[in-house]
Amino acid sequence: MRPEIDTHDTDILILGTGGAGLFAALHAQKAAPEGTKITIAVKGLIGKCGCTRMVQGGYNVALGGGDTVERHFMDTIRGGKWLPDQDMAWRLCETAVTRIQELENEIGCFFDRNPDGSLHQKAFAGQTADRTVHKGDLTGIEIISRLMEQVLARPVEKLQEHRAIGLIPTRDGRALAGVLMIDMRTGRFRFVRAKTVLMATGGGPTMYKYHTPSGDKTMDGLAMALRAGLPLRDMEMVQFHPTGLLAGDHTRMTGTVLEEGLRGAGGHLLNGAGHRFMFDYDPKGERATRDVVSRCIYDEMRRGNTSPNGGVYISMGHLGPEFVAEKFKGMVKRCADCGFDLAGGRVEVVPTAHYFMGGVVVDVDTRTALEGLYVAGEDAGGAHGSNRLGGNGVANSTVYGGIAGDVMGADIRSMPGLRDPDPDVLEAEIARACRPFGKTIGAVHPLRHKLQETMWDNAGVMRTADKLTKAMGQVADIGAELMETGVASDSLAFNLTWHDWLNMASLCDVSKVIAQAALARENSRGAHYREDFPEEGDLETSYFTVARQEGDSVAVTREPVKFTIVRPGGTILPEGEPETLVAAQ
Amino acid sequence: MVAEAQNLKVSVWRGTGETGEFETFDVPSRESQTVLDVVSWIQQQADPTLTYRFACRVGMCGSCAMMVNGIPRWTCRTHVKKVSENNTLRIEPLRNMPVIKDLVADMDPFFDKWVSAEALHHPTSTRNDAITPVDATTPERQAADAGIECINCGICYAACDTVAGNPDYLGPAALQRAWTLLNDAKDGGRIAILDAVSGSGGCHNCHSMGSCTRYCPNELDPMSAIAGLKRETFRHALRRKRDA
Repeated sequence: MRPEIDTHDTDILILGTGGAGLFAALHAQKAAPEGTKITIAVKGLIGKCGCTRMVQGGYNVALGGGDTVERHFMDTIRGGKWLPDQDMAWRLCETAVTRIQELENEIGCFFDRNPDGSLHQKAFAGQTADRTVHKGDLTGIEIISRLMEQVLARPVEKLQEHRAIGLIPTRDGRALAGVLMIDMRTGRFRFVRAKTVLMATGGGPTMYKYHTPSGDKTMDGLAMALRAGLPLRDMEMVQFHPTGLLAGDHTRMTGTVLEEGLRGAGGHLLNGAGHRFMFDYDPKGERATRDVVSRCIYDEMRRGNTSPNGGVYISMGHLGPEFVAEKFKGMVKRCADCGFDLAGGRVEVVPTAHYFMGGVVVDVDTRTALEGLYVAGEDAGGAHGSNRLGGNGVANSTVYGGIAGDVMGADIRSMPGLRDPDPDVLEAEIARACRPFGKTIGAVHPLRHKLQETMWDNAGVMRTADKLTKAMGQVADIGAELMETGVASDSLAFNLTWHDWLNMASLCDVSKVIAQAALARENSRGAHYREDFPEEGDLETSYFTVARQEGDSVAVTREPVKFTIVRPGGTILPEGEPETLVAAQ
Repeated sequence: MVAEAQNLKVSVWRGTGETGEFETFDVPSRESQTVLDVVSWIQQQADPTLTYRFACRVGMCGSCAMMVNGIPRWTCRTHVKKVSENNTLRIEPLRNMPVIKDLVADMDPFFDKWVSAEALHHPTSTRNDAITPVDATTPERQAADAGIECINCGICYAACDTVAGNPDYLGPAALQRAWTLLNDAKDGGRIAILDAVSGSGGCHNCHSMGSCTRYCPNELDPMSAIAGLKRETFRHALRRKRDA
């Protein structure tokens, strides 16, 4: 069965409605010439799917009180272990200041205040100043709900429950002609031509058994970019959050984040035998950084010192159940709804894949190697290097989404018209999506389980060459099995199982690249830890990985990090500036 | 973990638009199991044609609300044990919205009304201005904060009998957002908001039956927000008359 295809034209097309996509729509509308048609397309509902909404902690921005853009920048570079693209990190820190003002003054967010009425800011791990602006621990809801209502009220064309499945270039391959999508509600293909396209679909490493991102996230953006031949950087860099809820394989609750603040407030991590193990590994105990705690929990799990579901426990009760229930109201309620007593009892936890630092190679204006294609947010690589600081994620998506809107609005002025697609690529992408209709019907779900098991076991928190090689082989096998697994095509309207198949195809493609890039990085930096290469390596000769699809295979190369602003070990802070402005706890 | 012996009997609405019927599935009962897990199990293990919607899994996005045994709930945060009656569940798409397919409701009317209620910020300063200091302890700010955590999941809208009887009624969520803005010192749209919420589909349709407040999973109180709007629109009308 071959569904029908509609064609559709617009001027500016935006994929995704997280912080990046919604900001891009608002900025493009201001920057573009009058009469420009702007279309925003999203795999779910506007503002509802994607991960910006799930931001708990907050938004990093230097707003004085001793803090400076320079200090924010240095924390970002040091946190990223000298791998970030320094120009991108600088633009992020610098633009965050006007972006937070825009969020409060124009978009209508209201962030928490100090008694004197100024914005309240706190310090997350890895920050040397109280920098994170927040709305309680539900910052993302405030940002996205306010952005969403602004976009809903504007004359922007909305394509909801439209998933992008292919970037279609022109016949000469020099520019992007448009994006092939599926209107999920009808099951029809829709090819949308646009002069400029922003890809802001979000990363989201959901190919791991335990993961935090929302269910719609399946790396479709990076899989499309890979097929389009674009270079992807830092693809080995998967950030794990140490404490995801663990409640069994059968429940979607498993993997969702129990917030960082629980450990900061004095929560204990206990192994299956009830032993508080963190001090066996690190003098900071539970207050060690995310990556360290994740590795320690993983090690306990490998030793078999586990709770009934195979993780460890977080225990808060010694702080007083009333205190915990008051301080972590939302988290305690969420656990209670799901049947767990966080305030007084023990809750099983496990490290969980949280954020993807890797992404498409872009410049500081979000432009890519393909004319007409722009990338922002978690789909873009470079700003975070090997590790993202808490609070830099939503800053990144909103800063660069806004920049993309400005730049697209300006660039279309010099673009004469819409471009025609390469019909062969368009046809190949349609055939790729229709592949399961010609095969014997099978079950997609068990394959996703298999993929998640192998990525967790072999390309996860702690890696070795042997395990990564095994992961590459197994992912290839799972991908091959998927290609022979059929989906019923009687009705394609809102056929979730077809979309499960397409999700799996994206996840398999990107999983292979994660394992391959991890194999290529023979040292341990930030989120990437090689047991066979535990040292961080020489900082002066730091490199980042670049992966490119070449024919049927992917080539991974190393490129030297350019220290355009500061060299390893150096600083741009004035002489005599204190190491940190944060009072010791 | 060992599955418990007794299965759940789950009736699920199947269909599109106005036509459809319930279909029953036997679903293994588990220790930690939400209604969303039940729906997912059916699609993954029993009937791959079932359609439903979810995203965040943790009660932040408001995509997965459905009617569960007649009551609108976030399925991701509703434990089966709390809602099953004699091991049975009846799951339907959200009330008061058109059905796209099976358990998926069309939320567009809900959001169209959000916009109609002027339920969006009206700026009084720009990105080039410093952030306005705000005393968070004033009664106005606390009234604004009371409704700020709404995630627009549509549960209050589905619960509302006035919406059921009057499709033009803006509904509790949009009106609560309007009330939040009226109390926000930074918002410059006071007159536009009062005009928007005092029209034919506006706040005066509310009969204070209170389902919105009773069923809000975030424990917000749209009914009181609407009562606030009624008072303000009344004063506004009096002032207009006097000034006329």
